[in-house]
Formats: sequence, structure tokens, C-alpha cells
Amino acid sequence: MESDMVLRLIVGLALTIGILAFAGRRMAFLVKLARSGKPASGRLTDPTARVEAEAVEVLGQRKLLKWTIPGIAHVFAFWGFLVLGATILEVYGALFISDFAIPIVGHWSLVGFLEDLFGLLVLVGISIFAILRLRNNPEKRGRWSRFFGSHTSGAWIILFMIFNVVWTLFLYRAAQYNTGVFPFMDGGAFVTETVASWLEPLGETANEWLETIGIWLQIAVVLLFLLIVLHSKHLHIGAAPVNVFTSRRPNALGPLLPMMYNGEPLNFEDPPEDALFGKGHIAEFTWKGYVDFMSCTECGRCQSQCPAWNTEKPLSPKLMIMNLRDTMFAQSDYLLAAKGKHPGLGEFDEAALNSLSPEVRAEVERPFIGSREGSEHSAEDGYTFDGHRSTGADLAIIDEEALWNCTTCGACVNQCPVDIEHIDHFIDMRRNQVMIASDFPTELNGLFKNLENKGNPWGMNASDRNAWIGEVDFDVAVFGANGEDTIPADVDYLFWVGCAGAFEDRAKRTTKNVAELMHIAGVKFMVLGEGETCTGDPARRAGNEFLFQMQAAQNVEVLNEIKATKIVVTCPHCLNTLKREYPQLGGNYDVVHHTELLNDLVKAGRLTPVNKIDKTVTYHDPCYLGRHNKIYTPPRELVGATVENTVEMERSGDKSFCCGAGGARMWMEEKIGTRINQNRGDEAIATGAKRIAVACPFCSVMLNDAVTSRQQEEGRAVGVEVVDVSTLLLNATKS
Amino acid sequence: MKIAVCVKQVPDSWAEKKLRDGDAILDRESVEGVMNELDEYAVEEALKIVEANGSGEVVVVSMGPDRAAEAVRKALSMGADSGIHLADASLAGSDAVATSYALAKVIDGRGFDLVLFGSESTDARMSVVPAMVAERLGLAQLTFANKVEVAGGSVTIDRVSDNGIETITATLPAVVSVVEKINEPRYPSFKGIMAAKKKPVETLSAADAGLDTAQIGLGAAWSKVDSFAARPPKAAGVVVQDEGNGGIAIADFLAAQKVL
Amino acid sequence: MGEVLVLVEAADGSVKKVTTELLTLARTVGEPSAVWIGPGYTDAAAATLGEFGAAKVYVADGAQYVDHPIAPKAEVLAKLVADVSPVAVLVPSSAEGKEVAARLAVRTNSGIITDAIGLTSDLVATQSIFGGSTVVQSKVANGTPIITVRPNSTAPVAAAGAAARVDVSVDLSEAATKAKVTGRAVAQKGGRPELTEAAIVVSGGRGVGAAEGFGVVEALADALGAAVGASRAATDAGWYPHTFQVGQTGKTVSPQLYIANGISGAIQHRAGMQTSKLIVAVNKDAEAPMFELADFGVVGDLFVVLPQLTEEVNKRKG
Repeated sequence: MESDMVLRLIVGLALTIGILAFAGRRMAFLVKLARSGKPASGRLTDPTARVEAEAVEVLGQRKLLKWTIPGIAHVFAFWGFLVLGATILEVYGALFISDFAIPIVGHWSLVGFLEDLFGLLVLVGISIFAILRLRNNPEKRGRWSRFFGSHTSGAWIILFMIFNVVWTLFLYRAAQYNTGVFPFMDGGAFVTETVASWLEPLGETANEWLETIGIWLQIAVVLLFLLIVLHSKHLHIGAAPVNVFTSRRPNALGPLLPMMYNGEPLNFEDPPEDALFGKGHIAEFTWKGYVDFMSCTECGRCQSQCPAWNTEKPLSPKLMIMNLRDTMFAQSDYLLAAKGKHPGLGEFDEAALNSLSPEVRAEVERPFIGSREGSEHSAEDGYTFDGHRSTGADLAIIDEEALWNCTTCGACVNQCPVDIEHIDHFIDMRRNQVMIASDFPTELNGLFKNLENKGNPWGMNASDRNAWIGEVDFDVAVFGANGEDTIPADVDYLFWVGCAGAFEDRAKRTTKNVAELMHIAGVKFMVLGEGETCTGDPARRAGNEFLFQMQAAQNVEVLNEIKATKIVVTCPHCLNTLKREYPQLGGNYDVVHHTELLNDLVKAGRLTPVNKIDKTVTYHDPCYLGRHNKIYTPPRELVGATVENTVEMERSGDKSFCCGAGGARMWMEEKIGTRINQNRGDEAIATGAKRIAVACPFCSVMLNDAVTSRQQEEGRAVGVEVVDVSTLLLNATKS
Repeated sequence: MKIAVCVKQVPDSWAEKKLRDGDAILDRESVEGVMNELDEYAVEEALKIVEANGSGEVVVVSMGPDRAAEAVRKALSMGADSGIHLADASLAGSDAVATSYALAKVIDGRGFDLVLFGSESTDARMSVVPAMVAERLGLAQLTFANKVEVAGGSVTIDRVSDNGIETITATLPAVVSVVEKINEPRYPSFKGIMAAKKKPVETLSAADAGLDTAQIGLGAAWSKVDSFAARPPKAAGVVVQDEGNGGIAIADFLAAQKVL
Repeated sequence: MGEVLVLVEAADGSVKKVTTELLTLARTVGEPSAVWIGPGYTDAAAATLGEFGAAKVYVADGAQYVDHPIAPKAEVLAKLVADVSPVAVLVPSSAEGKEVAARLAVRTNSGIITDAIGLTSDLVATQSIFGGSTVVQSKVANGTPIITVRPNSTAPVAAAGAAARVDVSVDLSEAATKAKVTGRAVAQKGGRPELTEAAIVVSGGRGVGAAEGFGVVEALADALGAAVGASRAATDAGWYPHTFQVGQTGKTVSPQLYIANGISGAIQHRAGMQTSKLIVAVNKDAEAPMFELADFGVVGDLFVVLPQLTEEVNKRKG
């Protein structure tokens, strides 16, 4: 017996030390790799929110539970692993003392019960995962499987390893039960007892051996699992909690991050020589970026929601992140060795470069962003269904087509269970393409020129900004018309009309509606007229941060000078920029969307819808109103107040599907795949609603185009109209 | 390879333009100024020639009031190496003949292999300055190019003419003007914008350039504006319902407008 | 009556219509003398020039005048200016004409007016500038007035002239022969002009309904010698290639005449064509915003209106 225990201990410890040595080296490497990233600032501010995020998103698994069945399966696995931490303690204890029990609680039946229960639930969890993977097999379903491009064989190995963890657990526990050294002899461990009853007939010696072998197996499997985790996408077990803790709070939506230099906002007037303008190489990402990449579990929730991927374009947020991760690992020798330097500008650390193997060096020097046109699987960002990507020394790592596909709708960020900040990375790469490489879709030339020269995307004359005022039959106060140099105290709101609101026909109608409704409700408002220019949203989303900074600085200066406080807008993009991004430049305003203001006015009885519209209406959430700014309810309440019937699209609320115009896509051609606006328009039409209510001028254009093109087909979308919510309200208010 | 590119600051081509009362000079103050769009193609082509050549220098030359410095900066931010800005109050009101005189004076003797122009400016739209400068400098004139090739000390262009394409060749130095569509002008990168701030720009007065003031400015203009009148604002268009003769109605309208 | 020199523009030995317009205009100023530069002067050319009132025709016959671009013509004209002291020189406002006039002005120390659309007997030229928003009357104050005149500025009126041939020859300067024409490719007959450079653009949009629908648009474009454009709706639908898209994300055009067919006129489209000088719209929908922009609009079926217009254009062009 004594010699048996010595053997048990020697083998167990040998296994542990051997494997832990490997694991430790890998962990040290991973930590060093993450730390080799560029500095990221503000990642530890507001610790309360971070602890809360850890509690809600990691322990509470909230984002995973957005999807019920896979969410529950993951809860089983996750909590199973937390609870089974106790069994790890027990198994190591049993190496030294055959009847080891955890002090104090070690013999409680409840503990034994929980251990067994969660062991079982882990099995249930992985069974569900297996079924999901079989039903959603990317080999059969192609890009319509969220697992398309994920490393499926790796995932199966993980599931198999978890299965091994569980059965070896129950094997040694059952044997312990039969040899009488089990800590929970008094009941509770119901699974162990059942398995023990199967092993009992084998006899005592056999059970003694099974006990020792089971313990070895358990230790070996757990350690092996650890090793696999550290070398696979299952790294998220360790990386995700760090990533969630250091993520942008409340989430990485709404404002984009300013460009930073050594933790300070970059001074565009006189930038330091070694400042980075976006990301033009994997070496230029921050440590938070690297942790993002390490955290990706390849679950494909982002991919399943992505408007680009769903319309057969190369971009998948998941594949993009996987690609960045693979690039990070492939070039890790350089990342760990290089000091300073800006590979994106072609400035490498020569010493580091020379220390590399020829293969790694070729990887480091590969073009980072560029065309992959004509290369293998280019329609799927180069990926095969099972995660292999075409490569080659001259082939760019990031497909520029995929990079420009992004509408910044935020569905990926909103979905991601581990808080990866996809949009920030994409915009950073766009920034490099615009400000350093000067290599971007040619259509954007016109946009940039018009914004620079005319202050609006279409190149209209500023003198036409007030054209709409001539088309309404009440007075509209224009700032400065009576010589005022600040906004008079009796003005309730500065009405920021926006470029679309001033120049685009349908949006102009919204402008007039909102003005009229405010007029009816007795809200005093004033417009800037010719003094207004674009907020800079399209420039910023297109990666032209320099242009954005110029426009934003100019607008903030004007708004601060005239002492603007409360602002109402009709465009969610203006809302996001004015309300969420201008604080980065010292502009702090109380900004509301017209649906919020109008809803308040209806609730306060200052506007009364009298004629409810007897048409069924479906409401489309604009990304920059909904996901980016969490305004879901006011427009719905407003629609509800003006119509008899409403119907929701399947993808609504925070799962709303983009119209295709965001991320400066409004100003680019959509040449690949099917059309995003058509995809969304068809969904809206399929609800049977006769009115599609929108709350964004760009959604209005896109969905109207989609509906009109369907109406050219016989008998389709008959009588369907796209209308702004304000139109519904105005029609209902006027008798 | 040393290339001069002449650029002009013009009122934004989309803005409403007016002549000033009094001297009938284009009112440049009231509208946003931009670099003449066609000149961007010339700058791009110059940069391309230098890039293809492996070495060389691109010098931007502009004549105009202080604001024209913006056009020079823009060209520098695209990648030109240095600038010459001819600015002098006495130049105001210069016509094409005087402009060509002043530009030729500045360009002459600096050893340029090529003098590039956009084929016209979007404000005056005369397309005569490149030819005049060639005439004054006694250089080969290769204008309205939609393709330029420089090799072995000579330049060959495809000239877009009313009758088709003419291939024209000459030994350097030469004056070349380019049309739209010859290339896709690059958008200045931020790096370029920053670098442009540090590039040398030589500002010349009329005296520095050795100009005879009797030959420049409004007083020396050899064509005089007698009178001008803004057209009455475009009247709202006529919209008719087609009653079987819509096509003929359009034809009548086009004939009345002298386009048919 | 002083002599007025008119530079002849011809193709394949026949005089172009613009020359007859210039001769007509020259008669209000003085006695027109045509100037033919280059080989290939024919009796037919002489007849046309005489028919429209050319008293003399100076003929500088020789390949050297056209083997080098622009400058030789300016030198021939400069010699004539020196020899005959004309009251004015009229040149067609083509790309080449304007450049010849430019060099001539420098050579002869003369003022130049380009793109005149009218000319009075005392040599006051009318120009339409800034896209037609301003009309200017100007006069040359120095040297021999050199005026380039836009085609279609006046209707040619016949008036017999002797068209007496006077041969001239000039020893070209070294500078004038530095550039050499080494090849000529005649524009393909029937080929449409480049979209961004065309004087007339005929566009189709959603209302065209299908790829086949563009047939009527193309037929009208060909009758007018115009380029074909398309709205984003049409290119997105795959009815017409993306390269022909006019609008925010496509090409920006600024032709003399833009005919929008079945195009509603959304701002994305307007951003690419609103600086067109003259806009004609055809659309079934009377509410289409394009009508607000149009100088002339027809509410109707483009498949009826366009073929009729095409037929009418062909008829009137003879």
C-alpha cells in the first residue's frame, strides 16, 4: 500500500512538472507577446464598472445568453469548470493522502452533489455543443454556418478533451468510492455512486488500481487540456476575463477612439515624428488589440450578424480577427524582438529583422493591407470552411475589400461574448489606408473633397442650407439673423439640421416635419443655417481622422462660442458625433434625437395624435440610434402612438440589420455580393407592413431604394412606403 | 529630370461665381478657393514621371494672391518637392497674355526639362496659357495630353483632338498640358500634408521675377470688359405632360436653346 | 472695309460648318478672307468658302504646316497679320483653334478673346461665362483683335465671294518645328464620346426598367452624338456597366446638355450632374425631384417620348 502511494505520487508529480514546464513557458510567452503591443490608454479607469463587467459578462455569462441554447450550454461548461476546480484540489490531494478531503467543506454532501451535478452538466453542455456543430456543419452549410472558417477540428478535439476530463473524473471518484477513500461517502455524489456500482463487481484490487490509474489519467488529461488550451482558440479561457476587464465600458460602440500618442490625444497640428496614424502592420496594434485577438473563440456570432457577410461579401468580423491573431502569432518572433519602429511606414527594426528565420522574416515583410483579388477563396476572405487561408509571400494579409466592406453597424461588437472591439481595429486600419498609404476606394475622393471644400458630402452650396425654410409656412429662427452672438435664453433647442436634412429630398421632409411639430408644440428652436457643416462622421468612419478633427474642431468652436447647450438632431450619425464624440474635443452638449424629443412631447400632451393611421407599420432600428446609442424605446413608443398596428422584424432592437449606409458606405459602391439594403428591405416587406418607419436619413434612402426596386417587379411590395417616424406623427397630429 | 507644374488657385468650381462691380474682375474673396482641379492631374502626372524615372524634382509654380499659397501647399502635400509663388499686387487683373508673360519669366532659366499644366482652369476656361508659355519660351508644345511618356530625353504624348488622337513627340525641354482622365490624382496622405509644411516655397514679387510692370495687371490687359450682366436667375423649368408629342416638344426646346 | 482673317477648319478636304458661321460673322466686321493652312485644298473647299463670302483665300499648302502641331498655323497667321493688317482674326473655338489664337496673340502683341458667342460690327464680343451665369461684353484693346468663336453662335448665311486664291508660305521657326506629329488615330465613327468629356449626356435610371430598356437611351445618345450615362439604381441593378454611373459614387459630369430619363433625381445622382448647363428630364412620375432641377421636363413614358425625340433629332439634323 505504501509503495503504491509512492508510485502514485511520483508518476503524478512527474506528469505535472513535465507538462507544467511546457505550459509555463507558453504562458510566459503569451504574456510577453501581449505586453509587446503598443500602449493603450484608459483601460483601467472606472474599476467599479470593470468589476461589474466581470461579474455580469464573465460570471453571469450575459452576452452568451443572448442566444438561449448555446448560451445555456456554455453556462454549464463554464460553471462546471469553476466548480470542478474543487476536484482538481481533491485529485492532487489524493496524490499525497489516499483519503484526502478539502478542509472544512470537504465532506459535505452538498459539495459532493454539486461536483457531480456540474460534472454531469458539463457533459450535457458538450453534448449540446456537439449537436450544434453537427447541425451547423460549415462543410455542408458553407458561409451560412457561423462556424464557417473556424477551426472545426480543433473544436472537436476540445470537446473530446472535455469529455475525457469528465469521464476520468468519474472513473477515479467511483474507484475511490469502492475503495472507501472517497470524501463523500455519506451521499450526495450521485453520479459517482452510480458509476461505482458498475465498477464494484470488478473487485477490490481492480478498483484500487483503477483509483490510481484514474487519478493519473485525470491529472494527465487536465494538464494536457491546459496545454491544448494555451495553443488553441480555447485560449479565451484565460484571455477573455482579462479582455472583458480591460474592455471599453459600457461597450466599444458609439464614439470611435481618438488617435493617441503616449497616452495623450494626438496633436494633429504638430504630430511627433514617431506618431502612428492608424495601423498599417500587426506590430502597430496595442496590447489590448493582441488580447482581443487571443480572446477570439471563433464562435461566429459576429459573423452570423454581419451585414457584409450576410450579403456574400468577403468581410467576416470573425475571420478578420482570426486573421489578425494568426498574423500576430506568425510574426511573434519579430514582435518580441523589435523596438520602436513603424513597419507600417516601411521602417523595420533591422536588428530584429535579421534575427528572424527566413520564413518569419518573409511573413513580417508581407504586405499588410492590400488587394487579394483573384486569390483563392477571395469571396470568403481567403478562408476555407475549416479555417485554412490561402497565403503567399506577395499576398496581402488583410484584404482591403473586406476592410472597406464594414458598415460599422456594431452588430459584431454587440454580440461578441468576449468584448472584442472589431470596429476600432477596422477603423484603425482604414486610418492607415487614408492617412499614410493614401490607398482607398476612389469614390471616397469625392466625399473628402466635398467635405473639405463645401462642408457637406454632396458638394452642395452652403447657401442652400436654408432652402427648406422657404418651404414651410411658419417662421424659423436662424442664428445671427437678428444679430445675436449667443443662443438666446428663451430658445429651447438648437436644431442641428444636418447635411441630409438640408439637402436630401426625403430628409428635408423630415426636417420640415420636425420643425412643424416643434412649432405646433410650442418648442422654441433655432437653426445655424449656413453656419452648419458636416459633423465629420463620414470622414471619421472612412478613416480620415485628420479631416474629422478639422471639422469637429470647427464645429465645437462654433457651438461653444454661441453657447449651445441643448441640441436636437434628426440624424443618428449627427447624434452620435455631437453627443458622444465631441466631448473628446471639449464639446459637451445635451443632444437628443427627434424621436426622443417628439416622444416626450406626446407624453407631455403637447402633441396629440388624433388620427391613428390604420396601416401596419414596422420600425427599422438605425444602427447609430439603436446599437450605438441604445435608443430603442422612444421611436417605438412614438410609432405606437400614431398607428393602429405594429409588427416587428425578426432582426430588430439590438439585432437590427444594417441598411448598408453606415461606416461611410453611403459614399462607396457596393459591387460584391447582394445588396445590404435589399436584404433588409425584403425583410421589412415580408412582415406585410405597409409602412416601414425609419429614424435616419440614410436608412431612409437605402430602404426606399430597396422597396422601389422590388416594386418594379409585378405585384411585389405594393403600396409599401418608407417614412420617417416624424411623418407618421405629423399625419396623425394634423386633423 | 526637373519638372515645373503650374497650378492655379480658383474659386470652387461648384460655387456661384461673380464678377466684381467696378473692375469686372472675378470676385475671388467671396468664394472658397481650391486648387484648379485639372492642375491636380498635372501634379499627379509630374509625380508619376519622376517616380518612373527613379529620380527628379517637381517644382510647383503658382501666380496669384496670397491665397494661392494654398494651392502650392496642396501640390506639395501630394508630393511635389518645392514651390514658387509669384505674388504681387501689381499682378491683379492680369489677362492670359500677361499671365503667360509672368509665368514664362519665372520658369525661364531654371533648367526645367518639362513644364506641365492642366489643360484649362475651371474659372476662365480659356486653355490658352500653356500654348502662350510655349510660344514665349520657344519650347515644343505638347498639349491636351491624355497620355505622357518621357524616355531618353524626349517626350511623347497622345493629344486629344476633335478628330481623334494625335501622337506628338519632341525632345526635351517641352511644355505639356494634360486633360482629365490621364490619371487619378492621389489624395494627399496625412504624412504628405505634414511634410508639405516643411518644404521650401520661394515667394517672388514682380520685381524679384524681373517683370516689367507695364506688361502686367489690369492696366496692361489687352482685352477689356465693356460691360457684364448676371443672367437672371435660372427660371423654374417648364414641365409638360406628354400628350403624344413629348419628344417633339423636347426637340423644339433644344432647337430654341441652340443645342440642336 | 478692312480685311478679316478667318482660320478655316476642315476635315477630309471639306470645310466644317463652324467656318461658314465665322465667315458670316466676319462679314459684319469687314471683308472676310479665309486662311487655309495645310495640304488638301480642293475646289469644293473653295466653292464653300466663296459661297459664304470669302473674298480671298490664303492658302499655305504644305505638309510641314500640319506635321507640327499648333505653332506653324500661328506663324502663318502672324505673317498674314503683318502683311495685310487685318481688322481682326477669327478662329473657331476648338481646342486647336484656341491654342493657335493664343500663340498668335503673343506673336503679334495682340489681345485675345476666347469663346465668343456673338460679335458686333465694332468688334465687341459677347461671352457667356461661369457656366452661363454671367454675360460679358468685351473688346480687344491692343494690337489686332484675335477672337475665337464658339460653334453654333450664329446661323451661316450665304453671300457670294470671289474666294480668290492667294498662296502664302512661311519659313517656320525652329521653335515651331520642335514638336512633331508622329501618328494620327481617327476617332472611331459611331464611337460614343467619353462620359466626362461629352458635350451631351443621355442618362437612364430606374425607369428604364431593364438592360434592354437602355436601347432607347442609346439610340437617342447616338442621334445626338452624346455619351450614355446611368444612375446608381440602373448600374446596381446590372442594367448598365458601373463605369457609366453618374453620381456621388460614380462620375461627375458637366455637359452642355444632360437628358435624364427615368431618373428620379436623388441627391446621390444630382451630386454628379447638377452643374450641367441645360437639363432635360423625362419621367413617368410628375413628383420626381429631377423636374425641379430641369430646364425642360416631360411627364411621360420614356419608351414613347425617347424614340419620338430620336426620330425628330435625326430628321432635323437631316
